[in-house]
Amino acid sequence: MLADLFVSVLFIVYAISVLMGFGTILTWVERKQAAVMADRIGANRAYIRIPGTQVKLVWWGLFHGMADGLKMLVKEDWKPRTYDWYAYAVAPWVVFTPVLLVFAVIPFGGVLHPSQLWAPLAAFFGDKSYPMQIATLDGGLLIIFAFSGMTIIGAMLAGWSSSNKFALLGALRAGSQMISYELVLGLTLLGLILIYGTVNLDAMVRHQSGTVLGFLPAWGIVYQPFAATLFLTAAIAENKRIPFDLPEAESELIAGYYTEYSAMKMGLFMFAEFIEIAIIGALFTTFFLGGYNLPYMNDAGFAFPGGGTAALPHGAVVVTQMATFLAKVFLLCSFQILIRWSLPRFRYDQVLTFAWKFMFPLALINLVVTAVVMWALGK
Amino acid sequence: MIETVLASLDTVFLYAFAGCAFLSAALMLFLKEPMRVALALISCMVFLGGVYGLLGVHFIAAFQVLIYVGAVMVFMVYAIMLLDPRDESMKVRYSHFLWPGAVGYVLLVEALAAGVMNDLPGPPRGPAGEPFSLKAFSEAFLSEYWLHFELTSVLLVAAVVAALAVIRVNRKESRG
Repeated sequence: MLADLFVSVLFIVYAISVLMGFGTILTWVERKQAAVMADRIGANRAYIRIPGTQVKLVWWGLFHGMADGLKMLVKEDWKPRTYDWYAYAVAPWVVFTPVLLVFAVIPFGGVLHPSQLWAPLAAFFGDKSYPMQIATLDGGLLIIFAFSGMTIIGAMLAGWSSSNKFALLGALRAGSQMISYELVLGLTLLGLILIYGTVNLDAMVRHQSGTVLGFLPAWGIVYQPFAATLFLTAAIAENKRIPFDLPEAESELIAGYYTEYSAMKMGLFMFAEFIEIAIIGALFTTFFLGGYNLPYMNDAGFAFPGGGTAALPHGAVVVTQMATFLAKVFLLCSFQILIRWSLPRFRYDQVLTFAWKFMFPLALINLVVTAVVMWALGK
Repeated sequence: MIETVLASLDTVFLYAFAGCAFLSAALMLFLKEPMRVALALISCMVFLGGVYGLLGVHFIAAFQVLIYVGAVMVFMVYAIMLLDPRDESMKVRYSHFLWPGAVGYVLLVEALAAGVMNDLPGPPRGPAGEPFSLKAFSEAFLSEYWLHFELTSVLLVAAVVAALAVIRVNRKESRG
């Protein structure tokens, strides 16, 4: 019992620090990558000077994230005289909390056997094993949609309670856009559920560790390349980032639904957005890119398509899986930032038309084709 | 010591969630402003989801939050966002049916209490004594209950049509 508690707390601390770490790092990556793409130097002014010397540690501007956080913490916490102070105070948390909660069902590694990791640990843990995910639930996918739906309410509350016409317009836009794209998001994943036959995320990852056609890794993106594209597009729209950032379009609406927020309350909205980039990366990795496994890898080691196998010690497997998961998520975050700095913004009617008249039918067609193929294959 | 605390943690959380759900439901009845009422209803739904989760049916908890908060309440908040907060009708706290409603409530509570006094059923189990899984739920849903589900959706469509009709009637009256 005590061992279970220890492992649970360990996983929760790991998950929260990974998400916070991604949130902080991505604010820097966003600026530095934009600079690299535009052939500029980018963030390079924040530094830490070693006391008593003239040695300044710039580290490619990595300290800009810390400087941002400090600035937001010490800024004046300005409060508008709003119609509903309660909704105004609670809105940033309604946006921020569900984003963290989604990570609870995402597996970030295979199964952990503490006794195989290091023999003396057996005295405390016995021969128990723990799947590396905070909550092992058979309805994981449903939990993800349940929590991600809650952020819509936060965005709308923020805009409505600010008593500002720009904010209200932003809230209306956020509401309509997120409702539309959430539907597409759900539809794109139905095909995967048909193929994997489960909504348990860990089972999904295990399903992807084999091969298909003899040599390709059996990843979701190989089965459903179309759904993968639609999913990523809809997820970026759901996160309200360029080219879909109409709810906060600064040239039209100042900052949209969080115009009236200052200091760390505004920081929470920004932070939630950056963490959601990482969450989208984690979800895409789990659904389409084989999760925490390298190609041809499973919990015992590697099983190559030619029939060759390479067994790995348990410790190496655990470390490889966790590192692989983080690397995949980071690459996907970087890809999302690449999209953000490449495409111009839509017009608002285009955003909704794109959702309902283009992506929604495509997702339906994808689902129908998948269902027909699965039926023809007799599964 | 810590082992016993951990063993009873489920029960403690169950009572806490149930209490919070009850509290938010009561708040929903007594609050006046539409957005606060909606927020109270949302927190009630989330706490009920927590209760389901603690009883071991996680997917029912997920459906609870997904459908009631993610779908129904999103639309309610969307609609309330467009209301005029200075509307006179929002100053009226209780409807004319306060007293009949209160009497009906007391009767309902009595009936429920009588039901609860009988033995409470244990957590839902599948046929083989397994915890009620998503698979068992899906099979039961699509074999035994699909007709009820479809009938409910017909009822909902009827309700939408009725709501439109009511709006039409009121409009004609106000235009004279």
